[in-house]
Amino acid sequence: MRVKNNKIKLSKILLLTVMFLVVTVGLATSGCMGGLQPVGWSGGVVADETLFLGSMEGRLVVVSVADGTRQWSEPITTTSSGGFGCAASSAAVPIYGTLVVAGDLVYISGYNGKIYAFDSTSLQKRWVYPAEGNLQTIVGGAVVALDKVYFGCSDGKVYALRADTGVEAWEPFQTGDKIWSTPVIDGEAVYISSFDKKVYALDAATGEKKWESPEAGGVIASPPFVYNDTVYFGSFDRYLYAVDATDGQLKWKSEVEAGNWFWAKPVVYNNTVYAPCLDGKVYILDAESGHELIDAIDLGSSVSSSPVLVDDSIIIVSEEGKVYSIKDNQKKELKDLETKVYSPLCASNGVVYVHTQEDEALYALNAQTGAEVWQVSLASE
Amino acid sequence: MGAVWDTIIFKPVLNILIVLCSVLFSNFGLTIIALTIIIRGCMYPLTIRQLRSTKAMESLQPKLTELRQKYAKDKQKLAQEQMRMYKESGVSPIGCLVPMLIQMPIWIALYQSIMMALAVAPEGLLKLSSYLYSWPVVYSMLPLDSQFLWLNLAVRDGLLILPILVGITMWVQQKMVAPANPDPKQQSMSGMMLWMMPLLFTFLSLQFPSGLALYWVTSNIISIVIQYFVTGWGGLLKSAAGKPTGRDKSYKKRIAQVEAGSSEYADVGADIVEPSSTQGEGLDNGESRDERQDRGRGYPESLRGIRRQSRRSKSHRPKRR
Repeated sequence: MRVKNNKIKLSKILLLTVMFLVVTVGLATSGCMGGLQPVGWSGGVVADETLFLGSMEGRLVVVSVADGTRQWSEPITTTSSGGFGCAASSAAVPIYGTLVVAGDLVYISGYNGKIYAFDSTSLQKRWVYPAEGNLQTIVGGAVVALDKVYFGCSDGKVYALRADTGVEAWEPFQTGDKIWSTPVIDGEAVYISSFDKKVYALDAATGEKKWESPEAGGVIASPPFVYNDTVYFGSFDRYLYAVDATDGQLKWKSEVEAGNWFWAKPVVYNNTVYAPCLDGKVYILDAESGHELIDAIDLGSSVSSSPVLVDDSIIIVSEEGKVYSIKDNQKKELKDLETKVYSPLCASNGVVYVHTQEDEALYALNAQTGAEVWQVSLASE
Repeated sequence: MGAVWDTIIFKPVLNILIVLCSVLFSNFGLTIIALTIIIRGCMYPLTIRQLRSTKAMESLQPKLTELRQKYAKDKQKLAQEQMRMYKESGVSPIGCLVPMLIQMPIWIALYQSIMMALAVAPEGLLKLSSYLYSWPVVYSMLPLDSQFLWLNLAVRDGLLILPILVGITMWVQQKMVAPANPDPKQQSMSGMMLWMMPLLFTFLSLQFPSGLALYWVTSNIISIVIQYFVTGWGGLLKSAAGKPTGRDKSYKKRIAQVEAGSSEYADVGADIVEPSSTQGEGLDNGESRDERQDRGRGYPESLRGIRRQSRRSKSHRPKRR
């Protein structure tokens, strides 16, 4: 009888274990428990022979471009509620936007809905906006001009703060949907794209709207590129657009339909638009007419990292970590890093800096040859 | 394996979800409900098969218990007798598991799609782009709006309404399918299951985005509806069946008339419970209704043929009591 009871108990335990496993494995294999969590992919910026970028540990990292020696700030953290039955916990704030340096301050946009100003030498916080509470998530980076810091937020607003104090410079401008892109300053205008499928031009001094572009066929997540009084941008509808920078009128919409979204920022050089796409191709169009100059260059895997212009070459990295140079419409593979790359590229003095995603590291590569200058881990421990 | 899964199951479900959202006024909450209904509709034959197999297995439980007692010391003989019984009664012990196993990948794909389509974090949206078909509507629809009623479908329900609904609907559904097992030990196990699953899923609903909880609630309600049309309220009403309802009384009256040999009621014999089991006031005498119906021993010999004939012709009709 006792043996029988034990058997029943055992079968109960087995049944419960199987149930638990089925649910857990089902949820785990569905990808919700990993892979979709925000971790960040901050781009770097070089100022005074020093590179500043945000790490996935939520730290401001300062790297000497000469030899790769590093310094870290204290991590930026946020408190999460932890959910039912779990205690609140502190977590590193993901940083997606490229950092910006102005004077002795470094500005960081945190995914927790805050803008931080750090002293570029001591790496101590100077101010935080908002001082209390949080805005919605901030995915794009900030830009600094006219003594102001400009950024867009997922609440659909464009903010301008005084660069020295973090006090609001003008009333935030409301767009129709989320903003995930970094604003662009050209002259006295701020250009910013929104998930409402439009690009806006605002007066940088007052925040007043100058114009809004005609609606694209899909969301615009990438920052626009301003060149020769024209604003260029790609959309999730798989087309590229060019609008007049003075009045927002459509100049052209590309004839060719790409195979996936335009996520990375396009680069315009020598009257030619270079637009990398998530379909793994780089579309090369005439900047005046939007006509395709040559067949798109296939890089083999998606490109979400914004390219950079070094001398007369466009340097592009694919998600799979292959670094290419495009010159005279010819591609040349510079280096295979064999690791994921989502962060925008950064270049200075003929060296391109690549922030990798897996085993977070920073590579310094010669932009002409692809030779590795140095490579450092960005992990603080 | 991952590529095969993505190509055959995950991508189709995800892309259909997005297209459906464009049809349903870009309302992702409605889309989750609609797609759950559609998929459960497609799975209907399998679900019915699973329920019937479960029901058939339940009806064999008393005999199985008898066999276990009879051959407690001879495991080999017990196994042989069990197999013989399954064969004779035309019931497969894994008959209720196979349809469920076939449905599992679809449920997981639906769940994956909901999680993926919400794409709250930039990493999620970027990853989503690699699963899309080259249909223009799919590309231009994203990212989807996660607002539905009071809910942000991408985060957990702060008001706890949806997690509670998940628990209640799952409990009701579990209670309906809970077998009336004469074996007290088995009864205790099913009693534990009755509470474990709703509690587990309520807990999960508190942790996961409310879009997923909405899917669970919808799926549970569909299960309840299907279950009702296959077996009626089942175990849900048995526990509260101490008092006869007006419906019970009318059936008793009809049974009495059938017993009296009234040919007027011959046709309804298929759905009338065994007279011998309804002698008392309550319908619950510790024996399942299905058992009572299936045996049919209490019917006059003349009615048994009619009952069998009627069962063949109206096998899909909801049970009336």
